[in-house]
Amino acid sequence: MPEKAECTCQGSIDEELDGLRKVVLVGSPNVGKSVVFGNLTGKYVTVSNYPGTTVEVTRGRARFGSVEVGVIDTPGMYSLLPITEEERVARTVLMEETPDVVVHVADAKNLERMLHLTIQLLEAGLPVVLDLNLMDEAERLGMRIDLDVLRSELGIPVVATIATENKGMDQLREAVLGCRRHGDGVPVRYGDSIESAVHSIGELLKGDYGISKRTVALLLLQDDDILEVVREKEASDCSAIEEIVERTRKGFSEPLNYIVTIERQRFIGRLMEKTATVDRSRGTDLKEKLSRLMMHPVTGIPFLLIAIYALYEFVGVFGAQVAVDFLENRVFGEYINPAANRIVAAVVPWKVLQDLFVNDYGIITLGVRYAIAIILPIVATFFIAFSIIEDTGYLPRLAMLIDRVFKRIGLNGRAVIPVVLGFGCDTMATMVTRTLETRRERVIATLLLALAIPCSAQVGVILALLSGNVKALGIFVLVMSTVFLLVGFLAARVMPGEQPLFYMEVPPLRWPKFSNVFTKTYTRVEWYFKEVLPLFILASIIIWAGRLTGLFDVVVNILSYPAGWIGLPEEAATAFLYGFFRRDFGAAGLYDLKNAGVLSGVPLVVSIVTIALFMPCIAQLSMTIKERGLKTALGMAAFIFPFAFLVGYVVNVVLNGLGVIL
Amino acid sequence: MRCPLCGIEVTGGAPACKGCAASKGCSLLRCPNCGYEIPKEPGFMKIFRRWKEKRDAAKRQG
Ligand SMILES: Nc1nc2c(ncn2[C@@H]2O[C@H](COP(=O)(O)OP(=O)(O)O)[C@@H](O)[C@H]2O)c(=O)[nH]1
Repeated sequence: MPEKAECTCQGSIDEELDGLRKVVLVGSPNVGKSVVFGNLTGKYVTVSNYPGTTVEVTRGRARFGSVEVGVIDTPGMYSLLPITEEERVARTVLMEETPDVVVHVADAKNLERMLHLTIQLLEAGLPVVLDLNLMDEAERLGMRIDLDVLRSELGIPVVATIATENKGMDQLREAVLGCRRHGDGVPVRYGDSIESAVHSIGELLKGDYGISKRTVALLLLQDDDILEVVREKEASDCSAIEEIVERTRKGFSEPLNYIVTIERQRFIGRLMEKTATVDRSRGTDLKEKLSRLMMHPVTGIPFLLIAIYALYEFVGVFGAQVAVDFLENRVFGEYINPAANRIVAAVVPWKVLQDLFVNDYGIITLGVRYAIAIILPIVATFFIAFSIIEDTGYLPRLAMLIDRVFKRIGLNGRAVIPVVLGFGCDTMATMVTRTLETRRERVIATLLLALAIPCSAQVGVILALLSGNVKALGIFVLVMSTVFLLVGFLAARVMPGEQPLFYMEVPPLRWPKFSNVFTKTYTRVEWYFKEVLPLFILASIIIWAGRLTGLFDVVVNILSYPAGWIGLPEEAATAFLYGFFRRDFGAAGLYDLKNAGVLSGVPLVVSIVTIALFMPCIAQLSMTIKERGLKTALGMAAFIFPFAFLVGYVVNVVLNGLGVIL
Repeated sequence: MRCPLCGIEVTGGAPACKGCAASKGCSLLRCPNCGYEIPKEPGFMKIFRRWKEKRDAAKRQG
């Protein structure tokens, strides 16, 4: 291995480890690998960057009874198919260091998810010992694992440890010493087509990879960058291999990674039934109960409503009333705007140019004021509240909740990710829909994002608009979720398809930490500001140009018709136009109208519903075009635009018909 | 850093970041697994945290 010579810091310990039995620890992050490593090796270890990377690998010596061994602790890895740099390095260690034993340190309480890596290690033909660590936590949750069954099913040594209490370490040492290289322990089959491809690729592979050819073939099929390694190691050209990969992929409508994972999951599901039981009555502490309630499709809804209500109170009352009032009416209303107007009037002689900077739609009086006086306090309070919610670990539970609701309306769980992301920024979420497996899911998710998911900035301003009016908030939430479910349901009917699996880690609930919340809020506000201020200024300029040429008035005029049909004042049309530049800009426009007393009660709720449904901003529209194509994007716009006004119309009629007073 | 949505341990950014015009000065990290935007720790907080960790370590030893 020529790279090693480059790293002098590593040379000495490597020489020291030379000739020793080499034990490599692998496992996902936070399973206690470092603690196990520390228990085994004691003090004398070296930490060094893996050659060519910034990723650290730790090496040390250990004495197992009378035998001296070298131990290597690798960076966290979830799978042999790497996503992160750490995983790539961990895999390289496995491939290049010819370990005598690989200890897979796993989190016992998440056994099911952990077994994916165990199986991949077995497939790779590595001599594996499975260490179920964090056994104390698993027991506390009432989990019982039959180690004997696991041993016989997997055909490898399995030990249970509590690394922090140094428990089970002797058994681990014994298991390591007793572990011998295994043949291709291949518990999972992936169907004829994949198996025959694996077989043919395996025959063509001539190089030495340190892992089984079966694994290399599977990685190649799953679109892995191992292709580069293969190209390097194979003397002859790899076009025959690449051809098989290409041909096999074409035979499936889903990515092969997905098919492989599902087969593995099936196998693991059966294995779990035989080996693990959870005693529900025991160990379910309050947190665990709470967590389950939050994810249940029925009891989860009230929790979601509580979260929304808490957000609303904080953002709507504190952010929108106290902070905005101060900045908008005091700072801008009394000082900045009048001063800017005066100064610009004195310096710039032409009215047209004055309007660019000040007066009703100027950069300072509109763009900067919207950004600093309205959006900033609202978004900042929103981000504080959101960071608190995020830090408690609620988001994955929300994702599980939506997933369960989704399944009922016929949508796949993975679509939940872009949807949750959409609450942050719809444009980025639209980009993430790329990761969905089928075109059907991608189209449905994109549509839902464009229609029914308001982005964080917009949510903030909407909460502010509804401040002091809980009934209006309730109506808003009800209408939006009905639209969301209805459209999702219909879309799933129009484009039927199968429902694959969805898996995601749900960490324990915990109290939010001040430093985390502070850090997250600070970073988000900073990012938001960097992004938003230039855009708001740009929007002001465009509006100025639009007014100058009369184009703006034409569009507002056109928009004022549908606005009028749904019972809104003419000025609301302007806000809708703003909304197209940025969703929050439009909502801020409504906020302005509310403050001016033009908009309140039922028309306010109607306009909020309409603007929330109505339009993705320019950025989201262009992303939709980019990701889904012009035709689909235009089709969606053609649906969304009238649909938003239709819903606004219905809400208006219903509320007025019922005589609701808000 | 752990992704607050999917739970994966994240250090580098996602490939999606490469295509983004704002990626240079961006203070958000995109999770390579699920796409969630994770706020990075600002520089001054990192320094503060390191200082605190050192102090705590010193306390434990002394
Ligand atoms: N309760 C419990 N905690 C453990 C155990 N092993 C490790 N930990 C804790 O789990 C956390 C993660 O451990 P660490 O070794 O850093 O994980 P790594 O990322 O896999 O190296 C630390 O806070 C450890 O103290 C265990 O057996 N039981």
